[in-house]
Amino acid sequence: MSKPKTIIDLTAMVAGQGGDGSLTVISILTELLARRGYHLFTSRNVASRIKGGLAAATMRGSVARRGCLGDSFDLLVAFDQEAIDLNGHLVADDGVVIYDASDGPLDRTSLAEAVKVIEVPFGRYAVRDLRRDLFKNSLSFGVISRLLGIAQDEAQDCLTHALRRLPPRLLEPNVRAFRFGLDFADEVGLGLGQGPWCVDRVAREEQLLINGNDALAFGFMAAGGRFYAGYPITPATEILEFLQKHLPARGGIALQAEDELAAVNMAIGAAMTGTRAMTGSSSPGYSLMQEGIVHAGSAEIPLVIVDSQRSGPSTGMPTKPEQSDLDMMVFGGNGEFPRIVLAPGGPKDCFDLAVTATNLAQRLQCPVIIALDQAVAQDARTIPYFDLEAVEAEPGVRLDAAGLSKMAAYGRYQITDSGVSPWAVPGTPGGMNLITGNERNEWGLVSTKPDVRQAMAEKRMRKIAALGDDLPLGQRFGDDGAEVGILGIGMQTGVMDEAVARLQVSGIAVAGLQPRTLWPVPQETLAFIAKRRRVVVVEHNVEGQLRRLLMGAGANGDRLGSVRKYNGTPFGPSELVAALLSDPAFADNVAEMGIVA
Amino acid sequence: MTRTFDHTNTIWCAGCGHFGVRNTLVSALRDLEVPPHETMVLAGIGCSGTIQNNVEAYGYHALHGRVLPAALGVALTNPHLTIIAAGGDGDGYAIGAGHLVHTFKRNPAMVYLLMNNAVYGLTKGQDSPTAAPSHEAAEQGMDGISLGLALPGTTFLARAFTGAPEQMDRLMRAALIHSQQGRGFAFLEILSPCVTYNDTYADWAGRVVDLEADDRYDRFDRAKAFGRVHEVSEGGGIPTGLVFEGDGTDMAARIMVKGTVAPAHQPTDVDAHLDGYRDLMAEYAV
Repeated sequence: MSKPKTIIDLTAMVAGQGGDGSLTVISILTELLARRGYHLFTSRNVASRIKGGLAAATMRGSVARRGCLGDSFDLLVAFDQEAIDLNGHLVADDGVVIYDASDGPLDRTSLAEAVKVIEVPFGRYAVRDLRRDLFKNSLSFGVISRLLGIAQDEAQDCLTHALRRLPPRLLEPNVRAFRFGLDFADEVGLGLGQGPWCVDRVAREEQLLINGNDALAFGFMAAGGRFYAGYPITPATEILEFLQKHLPARGGIALQAEDELAAVNMAIGAAMTGTRAMTGSSSPGYSLMQEGIVHAGSAEIPLVIVDSQRSGPSTGMPTKPEQSDLDMMVFGGNGEFPRIVLAPGGPKDCFDLAVTATNLAQRLQCPVIIALDQAVAQDARTIPYFDLEAVEAEPGVRLDAAGLSKMAAYGRYQITDSGVSPWAVPGTPGGMNLITGNERNEWGLVSTKPDVRQAMAEKRMRKIAALGDDLPLGQRFGDDGAEVGILGIGMQTGVMDEAVARLQVSGIAVAGLQPRTLWPVPQETLAFIAKRRRVVVVEHNVEGQLRRLLMGAGANGDRLGSVRKYNGTPFGPSELVAALLSDPAFADNVAEMGIVA
Repeated sequence: MTRTFDHTNTIWCAGCGHFGVRNTLVSALRDLEVPPHETMVLAGIGCSGTIQNNVEAYGYHALHGRVLPAALGVALTNPHLTIIAAGGDGDGYAIGAGHLVHTFKRNPAMVYLLMNNAVYGLTKGQDSPTAAPSHEAAEQGMDGISLGLALPGTTFLARAFTGAPEQMDRLMRAALIHSQQGRGFAFLEILSPCVTYNDTYADWAGRVVDLEADDRYDRFDRAKAFGRVHEVSEGGGIPTGLVFEGDGTDMAARIMVKGTVAPAHQPTDVDAHLDGYRDLMAEYAV
């Protein structure tokens, strides 16, 4: 018996049919690794249905902070053969598979030779001895805890903590199921300390394990956001649910609208009373909202809009990530109006940029769009506590009765140098004004006079010019002095970080940039490209929308490589490294530097 | 006094029913002593969608069909305001019909003036959802009052006619009071003829039937109201008056914790809820 290997970076998948409870097993496992001080990253891969369809929950626990899954699965818990057939090839060569053999022995064709398989008839045990199939989750965790060399007390404590919201009558059989798992492990020679792995204990300060949607909703609320309207849609629904749960106790309202058209217009109505308002959806829902977003741009209404992008076109693949709405967010809608598009790369960015977006909307009185993708929206990871004390709610240019009384005349759309007009919200004595999406004069009365039109169009657009570079900066990775670079947003962030680090270990210096402001394209982004001989743009869409956007903003297309994926799965770190090195100009420049990959 | 926009210029054709609607609204607001700065008029697209320019109040010109969700956003975040949503039959019964159904269901405190002229006037005369069925029409006309009667939760359904100004004045006040008292959504359809593209003054004057003129009419009985509306319509008449009145509490009062400051007046600084945010953050701690 060889000595257990200390595992400092574990990527695991629990897979079965939707409703099997794969997420439960992963949540207990994350609790265990969290207590050992590991950083966590969790993700899920489900079909768009309540029960059934292959569903997988995945996690990575690592001593180093990581923003994506590892290249392969060290551990696969499979509740049926289909889970093996679909995911077996993703198991590491030295990985372990725990297989629910209730329906017969495993066909291991898809597994590498050296993969260790433990067959347990979980489902059969759970039904026979515990009268309920679902208890197989806790049963399997018993076996997992032995694989990882965790003593019973510690493992059981994690289980009961992770399931603490269950009523006692359900918790108790789960604990029994867990002990069945231990008994089984004993029977197959997996006594404590006999497993292949052990888990380190490292010091890490307490952190948050949160996904992007929740973090974004939290940031909006902390920035004084008090109205949200949305219509349920994967993968944006968590924002609505979070705010429905947490806004009312803080004097706010989150409303489920009858459709996305209603949602965006409700938010516009709320914004007009001076309330900080947001609406959100995912790709096809966002496309329905465009009429309202354009209107907010024209009528100069402060509004935050979230697009948790999923795979398109049309209803596409609801549960899969993509970044194919960039054109829609930046250019969509009729006419021209000022807008800002921000792009968070993880939960911390989601919180911070929701605060920024809420303030920018008030400051500029225009739509501010937050571009998420399914992975950023729904993957959770450990991050430091939010810096709540640093959150500031900027008031914007408001007029009260005293301010109004000093003015000879007041109209809503006063022409100003900054393009932003002083604003008296309804209820302000003496401030009666007109808001409209039509072209209008300074009073808000419809006007098509050529000089008025020109002045108003220019006034609106001045908002962006006046802002200059006062927009969120990007995140840098790797060696800023490198001749070659990599650039991507959203879900690429964590994997780019790891790919750059791996290249660096191989002696290849790469500069990485995750722009947090997508539109207007900041000088920072263009300067990053101009400084290098080759920058590969990494994105999840067919046409290379981000690369095209950068070229449109003045980046030299000859220097811009493109790595794209659009099959519904994120890049893995090795996959991205290989893709970068297959970019001829990237590889040439690396070779010129005298470095052999 | 700070000068604000000039609300005297209208775009309507001489003889348009909308003048009567606007004048009745202005006099009702004045008589009920609603301060202009606490009034908001939100209107849709169409000839009716300019009425906010002609009332001394805060005004909003909505997207076509979307005036009700926008007005709901206002009503929920600042219930202190007196809110009048307005629009035409195209706005409320065609492009915005879905929102009307859900606004009935929600019962927010606001008045909705649906100015029905049974034609698309601003685009020069196309059929509207309430256009009279003719041999070339492929569709039946639509009746918002019957629609409202069919939905549980409606609390105020009325129809006026600009050719009967006294009744319109009475219904306008009743609608405003219903909303102000926090009883909910006051739906007032006003037959407001388009003299240019569909001059129905004479036709409608001959067909309107004031249900309340009958002492035995019970406007609190939904089923009987429905029966009577059906009966009058089948006979070629157009039922008017306060057709139905029900008990209800407006949406803001139902969803807001009692005694809470309205969202529009909530403090925005993080300190106001810092402890609560810390507790919530702790729920994510690992």
